[in-house]
Amino acid sequence: MSDLKPITALGGAVSRAQSFGALSIVENSGLALASLALRDGMTPPIPMGLTLPGPGGWTTGGDVAAFWTGPGQWMIEAEGKAEEDFAAALAAQVPGGFVTEQTDGWVAFEISSAAGEGPIRRLMEKVVNVDVAGFAPGCATRTGLEHMSVFLIRRAEDRLAIIGMRTLAASLWHALETAATRLQDHPAA
Amino acid sequence: MLIPHPLLGLRDAQEFVYLGDASLLNRPDGMAEGAAEAFGDYVYLRDNPAGVHRELWFHEQGDRSWLVVTRDTTTHEILGAELARDVALAAKGGAA
Repeated sequence: MSDLKPITALGGAVSRAQSFGALSIVENSGLALASLALRDGMTPPIPMGLTLPGPGGWTTGGDVAAFWTGPGQWMIEAEGKAEEDFAAALAAQVPGGFVTEQTDGWVAFEISSAAGEGPIRRLMEKVVNVDVAGFAPGCATRTGLEHMSVFLIRRAEDRLAIIGMRTLAASLWHALETAATRLQDHPAA
Repeated sequence: MLIPHPLLGLRDAQEFVYLGDASLLNRPDGMAEGAAEAFGDYVYLRDNPAGVHRELWFHEQGDRSWLVVTRDTTTHEILGAELARDVALAAKGGAA
């Protein structure tokens, strides 16, 4: 068999990372994703000890986390498990639920701020049309970003994850890079 | 324009796709007598009220739920929004 070289969503051998003043954006290639849907009336399971969040929510329990994507539907994240069969591990935990592998469909960018929540809020104000003041840690939502559909997860005051379609990874990076560069050039403008 | 999503709160109308009159939820029985006429009306005939209108909106860049939005077509004031699923189940007499 020929030598195959795995590449990241942005096409690199290693994850891309770049700093823009206080903000840094890192491509998270290790994040495994699997969607979970339940039948009507099913009692929500507690997969891997994780309490599934309500509408607009995100909950985390160590290496796994979950965010709400629709009525009776969640996306489950597992840090550093992108190269394992995470969907199968999850399916074993939720008998009767519907689990679909999602890792290869998405690209995740982890944005962190070295100067508190200010830069994160200013970036969000530039790129997405959601209520930024109400988007506290533990919130997650799907919205549009430059006509691309993305999930936003506020992991902490100073951390935001943006998960977008993998085929549009470069466009999403470009959008974030452009906005972050402008914020760096014009701080608190 | 902001749409008061029943689960997610106020969301920008740009996240939604408009489908049309909420009467589309009442699809005729295709096996019943006179189904052709009923489907003709269902597909082609719409009320065009100047005033309160119930319409279907799809939260495409969001949680992908269908909503029934009550809107005043003369002022664009939004009077309410419910999950279309709940409306359809209630119409069927099921517990929504």
